Amino acid sequence: MSDQTAAIDIPAVQTEPRQKPVEAPNENGAGGGMFAFRAALPQRIEAAIAVGWCLVLLLAWEVSVRMGWVSSLFFPPPSIVLTRLWEMTAHEDLIYQAGVSTLRVWMAFGVSALMAVPIGIVMSSYRVVGAALEPVIDFIRYLPVPALVPLSIIWLGVGEETKIFLLWLGTFFQLVLLIADDARRAPHEYIEIAFTVGAKPRHILTDVCFRSMLPSMFDSFRITLGWCWTYLIIAEIVAADSGLGFVIWTARRYMHTADVMAGVVAIGIIGLVTDQILRRMHKRLFRYL
Amino acid sequence: MSEPYLFFHGITKRFGDTEVVAPFFDLKIAHNEFVVFLGPSGCGKTTLMRMVGGLEMPTTGQILLEGELAGPPDRRRGMVFQSYSSFPWLTLAENVAYGMRYRGDLSAEEKRERCSHYLEMVGLADFADAYPNRVSGGMRQRVAIARTLAAGSEVLLMDEPFGALDAQRRERLQAELRKIHRRDAKTVVFVTHDVEEAVFLADRIIVFSRRPARMLADLDVLSILGPDRPISLRDEERFFRLRTEVLQMVRAAAGDDE
Ligand SMILES: Nc1ncnc2c1ncn2[C@@H]1O[C@H](COP(=O)(O)OP(=O)(O)OP(=O)(O)O)[C@@H](O)[C@H]1O
Ligand SMILES: [Mg+2]
Repeated sequence: MSDQTAAIDIPAVQTEPRQKPVEAPNENGAGGGMFAFRAALPQRIEAAIAVGWCLVLLLAWEVSVRMGWVSSLFFPPPSIVLTRLWEMTAHEDLIYQAGVSTLRVWMAFGVSALMAVPIGIVMSSYRVVGAALEPVIDFIRYLPVPALVPLSIIWLGVGEETKIFLLWLGTFFQLVLLIADDARRAPHEYIEIAFTVGAKPRHILTDVCFRSMLPSMFDSFRITLGWCWTYLIIAEIVAADSGLGFVIWTARRYMHTADVMAGVVAIGIIGLVTDQILRRMHKRLFRYL
Repeated sequence: MSEPYLFFHGITKRFGDTEVVAPFFDLKIAHNEFVVFLGPSGCGKTTLMRMVGGLEMPTTGQILLEGELAGPPDRRRGMVFQSYSSFPWLTLAENVAYGMRYRGDLSAEEKRERCSHYLEMVGLADFADAYPNRVSGGMRQRVAIARTLAAGSEVLLMDEPFGALDAQRRERLQAELRKIHRRDAKTVVFVTHDVEEAVFLADRIIVFSRRPARMLADLDVLSILGPDRPISLRDEERFFRLRTEVLQMVRAAAGDDE
């Protein structure tokens, strides 16, 4: 394109009257658009609202304690909880304890996953196996883990095994059903494509079913890993001399409410960070989705 | 015809109490023939086609391919589905190459060559490294076609492969499929309930009744429209006339007892 035509084109475009952005039909006054039923919300505003509300709640809490409306023995204000969290991290052994807990969670989760993946896949691929295992698994799945604490102590004592066992108990039976479900959801078209290019049944499992279920399996992992943290506290409260559950439980004994809360916050932070990392990994690994 | 290439020999098919194919269904298909199964929704076209692929067993009767029992699925009979027709986790090139994955008779070099050859043939050479979610539905169907060709399938089984595409893409792809069929002679069984598509593509149209499927008509389109099917064929009088004729036949079939 020559300069001349460009020179003619540009002003022509600019003098065009600008179109007003289309407004929501039920907009009612200043900023009312975002309160319309099921209205879209820009991501930045959404994040701002989320963070803003958290800050407001924390501030309300802080003020309530400072004004003496609620007892700081029971509700230490956020400023003190955060200070304690910092002190425990920097000068006490919170990092170590968090490390111990994380290790336990990942160990138990690893065992669960290693068992759940093959068993879940086999359960969904061979109805015979599924029919045999599903009732048992369903039964155990609904047993509350705390109810099994006495049994596991009788069986395994109060050592490391008990904790891992309890975590495993809480996750394996859930995970195996999730995995079985993921495997079942592989579209039969994929399997038939494989057969019609000459695949044998043994290829189907690895080349098709496993590949097609990977993204949802990864999600199942992410979800059960979160549950693992729930059971960790139970396991560590019952019998432990280390870990975040132990820290929280010890602090409770001395009514160090701020320390209890700091421990809880630490778990929350670890959970949040892990989840975010796994979400990112999911996005990178499964870019084809 | 001494020995039919593909032979539906006295087929019946029922799922539980549902009779899907009326008793003693017989059909002979010649080598390199492009046969379209046309019929009302739910009449059993897919089931019949899947039986050729070995994905469904006839309740009684046999399907013979070159005189031999067709049996369980293998790469002689390739499938192109309407959806989930390619693997989302493989690039287009990898999807085409997947057709040869279980072939021990080709060297890696030969596989690579065939892969680019068929990608080229379906016009996707420029998108070799894209994932299916990045390309149009029409391209995904072409990949599936290329995969079956790369696999060396002799019979292409296509179940409403263009059903989810918009009209323009559909027409283009139909013309291309006809060209591929001309160039790379294959026997095609193509299922659709779109009359225009059927007339445009087919050497031969089998019109089915409502379920249980019976053969209502066996139309020789090849002798009327010839083997070449340019897109402009759609504007021709003979195409129109044939389409109307088939349309009336299908309406009658669908209206059997409605
Ligand atoms: N696996 C199966 N189990 C039970 N019934 C089935 C099964 N597969 C198909 N059918 C039934 O058989 C009948 C014919 O199905 P089929 O898919 O062959 O029809 P179709 O002609 O391809 O229909 P459409 O045009 O809707 O794709 C339908 O009524 C369907 O519900
Ligand atoms: Mg069908």
